[in-house]
Amino acid sequence: MILLKLEKLEVAYQRVITAVQGVSLEVPKGSIVALLGTNGAGKTTTLRAISGFIGLDDARVTEGAILYRGERIENRPPHRVTALGIVLVPERSKVFENLTVEENLDAAGPRRGANVNKDLVYQYFPVLLALRRREAGYLSGGERQMLAIGSALMCAPELLLVDELSLGLAPLVVAELSRSLRAIRDRLGTTLLLVEQNAQVALDIADYGYVMENGRIVLDGTPERLRAHQDVREFYLGGGDQRRSYREVKQYRRSRRWYG
Amino acid sequence: MSGYFRVRYSEDFALLDTRVQKAWFAVFSIALLSYPFFANALWLDLANQVLLASIGAVALMLLTGYAGQISLGHAGLLAAGAFTTGILFKEFGASMWLTLPASAAVGAALGLIFGLPSLRLRGLYLAVSTLALHFIVTFAGGEYESRRGFSTGIVIESPLTDARHWYFVLLAAAAATLLFGLNLLRSRTGRAWRAIHGREAVAEALGINVHRAKLSAFVISSTLTAVSGCLFAYYRGFVSAEAFSLYITIQYIAMVIIGGMGSLLGAILGTVFVVLFPYVIDAATALLGIAGRLASGIFAVNYSAFGLVMILFLVFEPQGLVGLWRRMQSWFLLWPFKQRPLSR
Amino acid sequence: MQLAVNIVVLASIYALICCGYVLIYRVSRVLSLAHGELMMLGAYGLYATASLFGGHPVLAVAAAGTLAFCVGIVVYAALMWRMTGESVLAAVLATIALGILLRGAMILVFGTQTQYPLRDLGWSNASLAVGSARISAVGLALVLATALTYGALFAFLRGTRWGIRMRAAGQNPLLAAQRGIGLHGVYALAWGLATFTGGMAGMLIACDAGLEGTLVVIGLKAFPAALVGGLDSLAGALVGSLVVSAAEVLLIHYVDPLLSDVVPFVVLLAMLAVRPWGLFGTREELDRV
Repeated sequence: MILLKLEKLEVAYQRVITAVQGVSLEVPKGSIVALLGTNGAGKTTTLRAISGFIGLDDARVTEGAILYRGERIENRPPHRVTALGIVLVPERSKVFENLTVEENLDAAGPRRGANVNKDLVYQYFPVLLALRRREAGYLSGGERQMLAIGSALMCAPELLLVDELSLGLAPLVVAELSRSLRAIRDRLGTTLLLVEQNAQVALDIADYGYVMENGRIVLDGTPERLRAHQDVREFYLGGGDQRRSYREVKQYRRSRRWYG
Repeated sequence: MSGYFRVRYSEDFALLDTRVQKAWFAVFSIALLSYPFFANALWLDLANQVLLASIGAVALMLLTGYAGQISLGHAGLLAAGAFTTGILFKEFGASMWLTLPASAAVGAALGLIFGLPSLRLRGLYLAVSTLALHFIVTFAGGEYESRRGFSTGIVIESPLTDARHWYFVLLAAAAATLLFGLNLLRSRTGRAWRAIHGREAVAEALGINVHRAKLSAFVISSTLTAVSGCLFAYYRGFVSAEAFSLYITIQYIAMVIIGGMGSLLGAILGTVFVVLFPYVIDAATALLGIAGRLASGIFAVNYSAFGLVMILFLVFEPQGLVGLWRRMQSWFLLWPFKQRPLSR
Repeated sequence: MQLAVNIVVLASIYALICCGYVLIYRVSRVLSLAHGELMMLGAYGLYATASLFGGHPVLAVAAAGTLAFCVGIVVYAALMWRMTGESVLAAVLATIALGILLRGAMILVFGTQTQYPLRDLGWSNASLAVGSARISAVGLALVLATALTYGALFAFLRGTRWGIRMRAAGQNPLLAAQRGIGLHGVYALAWGLATFTGGMAGMLIACDAGLEGTLVVIGLKAFPAALVGGLDSLAGALVGSLVVSAAEVLLIHYVDPLLSDVVPFVVLLAMLAVRPWGLFGTREELDRV
């Protein structure tokens, strides 16, 4: 079944700046879907629209619909959206700095009727067990991200939105986090929507991917199809096969052949 | 909106642009100047109070509304002006020609002291520091009173006794203050204040001496306030420390907030509102026939009604009376079109 | 020795009042300058329940305490929730206006006479001996109440889930909301607890010295103690209260009794000049208006 569906979503800031223009995507239950794009493409805005934390920057969903289990949830207050089981792991300020790891996990409030134990989180991230009495502000970047995902898990999410998993992290750490995310999906059945700038990482674990640019979806497909696509290769995966000199690589000369 | 374009710098600087504005200003001036000949004693006194308070309100608006420095010490500065007048009068028999500049000087000096914390603190902590200074100043005033035996207050002989004379003096003073404020805001200092209110770091990057701007805001505002305190002492003929409580500060802040932050017109509107408010409440209770029952508690009724009105304005009308005025204006001017602001 | 006892009693008063300031500030970043009036409201609550439950003083006290807690929640639900997200100045002014409203209402309802709730409760304020000094029974009760309150609060904030959630909401409200913590519930709880402790302080002071207008002034004097310790630190509030009360008692004794009202503010200014965020406060981004 389709857990989350965006239909021609339009999000505008202060009712004049349209950041997301007609985005449609589907997230099937139990899958990992990646949303790729560069800075300013509108990915974070889309996540914010889904999770309800959109009013902060004076933004609103102006057109289209967000359907969760068939129910329209756009422009709902954030705590209602969280209560439905949609939990966001934000890009910045993702942990409570002055609380210990254990307190961070305790602080999260699960949605009604769900029961989550800290031990589950420690299973996926054993490192946190060793660090449980340390203040979250003193954790390294990778440990922080683990804690962020862990505390999101404590809310017993059905759909986990992860914003920029790999930002600022070493490749080894990112690989480990990706494995953990896949394990979470496999064992807990949590659906994941990943927003990523690092296409390599995203396409490694995703079942399906969308590429976003300037507020629109310009390409979508399975990871194999995306990896094979020349434009994705050139602009997102580091240039394809041949070596090129910088003199030749000019964005405006090479127009992209988006379709899809 | 009206197709009126400014094509010269002098037009840009002018306070009154169109002929219509000038006409309205003339009508308004005539009304103001002839007011004391038509008003009875009560209304004249009210007008005097409004004019007197407006000086302090404009001063506070310059400091808090434009320069963005919160000050909860306003009553302390008023007290400083009043006490300087009282002390000079009692100890040296000084006349108004001495006490007025002396009050201004004391106000400036105190303004410097009140402003020093603003160099390091912002927002809440700045407000708290000004509050602390207020208590210290009023304490000092009270100490002087008790040590010199004026436990009930200092009585001052005022050179003016006729309410009408007071009216013209206060009208001149208020008009001068307003003009001074308007000119200051159009000058470099005023622009610097608006810049530091907006974003200090950017103002500094643009070459504005932030420390000097903050201190100048405090000093100018305090000087005006102290002068207002001096006039207040002469108008009442009486100075006592109890008259300068925190409630007075709150009333002035209410004038600024209810009037509308960031607008001198707001300061005036707010002053009129807050000064007239107790009299409106009195009239209302008389109208409702409960005046007799509440006789002893009339002050408490005023007090709680004031608190309630302030809350209502903070919650429902954060832009104050000026906001209301501008909405009304734009409704009339744009009719039948409506103006919908960009943010909901 | 008597001086030491006086310092401890005064410090307990200030500390009990301060934990209200600190709780509200820590959780919702709002400085509640209505605390003095809420204290007085609590004391009047005791006065009311004492006359209501004539022969059952313990019941009266319990009822007054519960009433104070509920008043706190009502204050949040009726007014302060609208101020969440507004500027610092607006929220503080709202509390000031609320204080004015409450003060006027209390005078209207209860008049300006000094009341003595302790008499109405049927208890007496005996003078007890501590070494060579004397302390009143209510004074001792104050010290004990403060100790108990702080102990309970520390345990609550560090040990229980709701306490952790309160701390979390205070640190990062957005993240707390994203993690399913109901912010309105947390803020209401903070206001309820703060008004409860403040009301308790008011009740005890009223029992010791009578219930009159100066109660509000004590509330305002306790506020520098909270700032000196750090507005978001309970431990700081304890230390700050000791510092301020020591300064006050010593200066009254050795210099001039009339200084009592102004000493806390002088200490406050000194602290703001040296270390604005207090002894134990977190060095936060000092907000703009």
